Amino acid sequence: MNPYQSYDAKIIEIRELTSREKLFTLRFTDREVEESFTFKPGQFVVVDLRGYGEFPISLCSPPTRKPIQLCIRRTGRLTRFIHKFSEGESIGIRGPYGNGFPLEKMEGANLILVAGGLGMAPLRSVLWYAIDTGKFEKIYLFYGTKSYEDILFRDEIIYLLKHGEKLNCHVKLAYEVETPSCIYLEKGFSEKVCKGVVTDLFRGEEFDVNNSYALICGPPVMYKFVIRELLDRGLSPGRIYMTLERRMKCGIGKCGHCVVGTSVSMKYICKDGPVFTYWDALSTRGLI
Amino acid sequence: MRYVKLPAENFSTFFETLKQLGKIYGPVKHNSTYTFIQVDNVKELSLDYTRTILPPKKFFVKPRDELFKLKREKWEEVKDGESFVLFGVHSCDIHGLKILDKVYLRDPPDPYYKSRRENAFIVGISCMPDEYCFCKSLGTDFAMDGFDLFLHKLPDGWLVRVGSVKGHEVVWENQELFEEVTEEDLRHFKEFEEKRAKAFKRSLNKEGLADILDLAFNSQVWKKYAEKCLGCGNCTLVCPTCRCYEVCDNWIRAYEVVRERRYDSCFMPTHGLVAGGHNFRPTRLDRFRHRYYCKSYFDPSAGFNCVGCGRCDEFCPAKIEHVRVLEEVREELL
Repeated sequence: MNPYQSYDAKIIEIRELTSREKLFTLRFTDREVEESFTFKPGQFVVVDLRGYGEFPISLCSPPTRKPIQLCIRRTGRLTRFIHKFSEGESIGIRGPYGNGFPLEKMEGANLILVAGGLGMAPLRSVLWYAIDTGKFEKIYLFYGTKSYEDILFRDEIIYLLKHGEKLNCHVKLAYEVETPSCIYLEKGFSEKVCKGVVTDLFRGEEFDVNNSYALICGPPVMYKFVIRELLDRGLSPGRIYMTLERRMKCGIGKCGHCVVGTSVSMKYICKDGPVFTYWDALSTRGLI
Repeated sequence: MRYVKLPAENFSTFFETLKQLGKIYGPVKHNSTYTFIQVDNVKELSLDYTRTILPPKKFFVKPRDELFKLKREKWEEVKDGESFVLFGVHSCDIHGLKILDKVYLRDPPDPYYKSRRENAFIVGISCMPDEYCFCKSLGTDFAMDGFDLFLHKLPDGWLVRVGSVKGHEVVWENQELFEEVTEEDLRHFKEFEEKRAKAFKRSLNKEGLADILDLAFNSQVWKKYAEKCLGCGNCTLVCPTCRCYEVCDNWIRAYEVVRERRYDSCFMPTHGLVAGGHNFRPTRLDRFRHRYYCKSYFDPSAGFNCVGCGRCDEFCPAKIEHVRVLEEVREELL
């Protein structure tokens, strides 16, 4: 089997999440592929728009639920094109690629999910996996977003703000731009929603650093601040996991676009990552 | 390893018999440079060539490489299963292919590269270094494997090392062309190798190089040379171990698309650009340094990602010398 060959997948639902992001629900045309397709939260697939090109995108649905979902932001030529697709049309999917989060290792511990903007997409996969399996102590979700209009999966977030504690899930939200909707949200959940950046959400939170793992995804600028916050609280670098982005073209460590590091340690983000611990970041230059 | 002798008078017959294995590509002089092209007659070959502009990687990772054709909304794999002979490959280029193997054959293997590797019959040839070669310091001046036959020049013919089963088969089926190796031939072989070892003008000190470079991340030398560098990407195109590629879909007629990959270079500003406009290597300094780090990556099982062929130096329009840059970085740090 040619590893560059994609499988045919049908778009069964398109949901508009914000003015820029759409959620695509996909089902593989081949029943055998549909049934055998498994993945780990944090892994990604390559979307094949036949005749126009390919792009990598992280899976945003949990492996516990089918069919698979992709949250795609309209930002470049190909994503602009896929936003014009309608339900019932077909695209190609190959993957899953990458290492994903080692969640088996984290069972029984607290999960601290720290998401910034579109970083919510891969972490949503972890979030619902953790809620569905119930194998984790407590799930924290700290989500930083630009404005109320930019909150991804707004209905799910508001649901969890309301009922999260019942699911062992503690959700907090920070927004940067104040709009009337934000103020309304802040009034409703005064303890959980505030104006500010994602690190502001750590204030007043206590967690057992010896039994917690942090999982981070967001824009490049966010990592430094979040990691500092976690290290200050005493979380070990080995318990800090982050998922990174690069211009991955092949997904299998051949094309060379996602290579980082120096002469002593070079890593392919697509194959050795995209999930790394802070130890990796300390030993590989240019990782974050 | 098996050693046989190919007398000079049998050379052209030997060349003709190789045609049974497929098209023969060999080094041919082209103005002042050399290039690997298809050769029909032994007279066209320039066996004393220094280096070709593009290394033999062009036969395995092609400058433009068709992967799929879209027909009736279905991808069809493009296959080129033709056997071919690469005649007259230098030891450094054989090592270059071995480095590519590490990337392209590891799981999951690249099917296009794999089939071309299986279809290739490689005939190596001994060479004399020129002012750009520094393969000796990297241990790539002699190939122990990675070829089917390797020819070493003798005063009256060639000493042939047989490196694979396919190589054995060719020698076996054409026994009348070969002779046993004599003591005298071995003496000539040894003399040639000694003369060759002394002919190197350039050398790279690889002692602790990987660590030294890692420590010298903020060295001023990178900055100095990045300002001199034109960012043209020539060095990456001619490098036998550079392998970055870009994939694009091209419409060739109204209902037919070809998905092809083509050489990309880490010197191009778009190399580290992601959707949304963020660039992970925005400056020429970042990109310049990255190439040196990639070439000097040290794999404990296989060595460096550089084979010392000297192409990047010879074809650099800014006359930047690979060894010199690395030596200056070392000097500044120590």
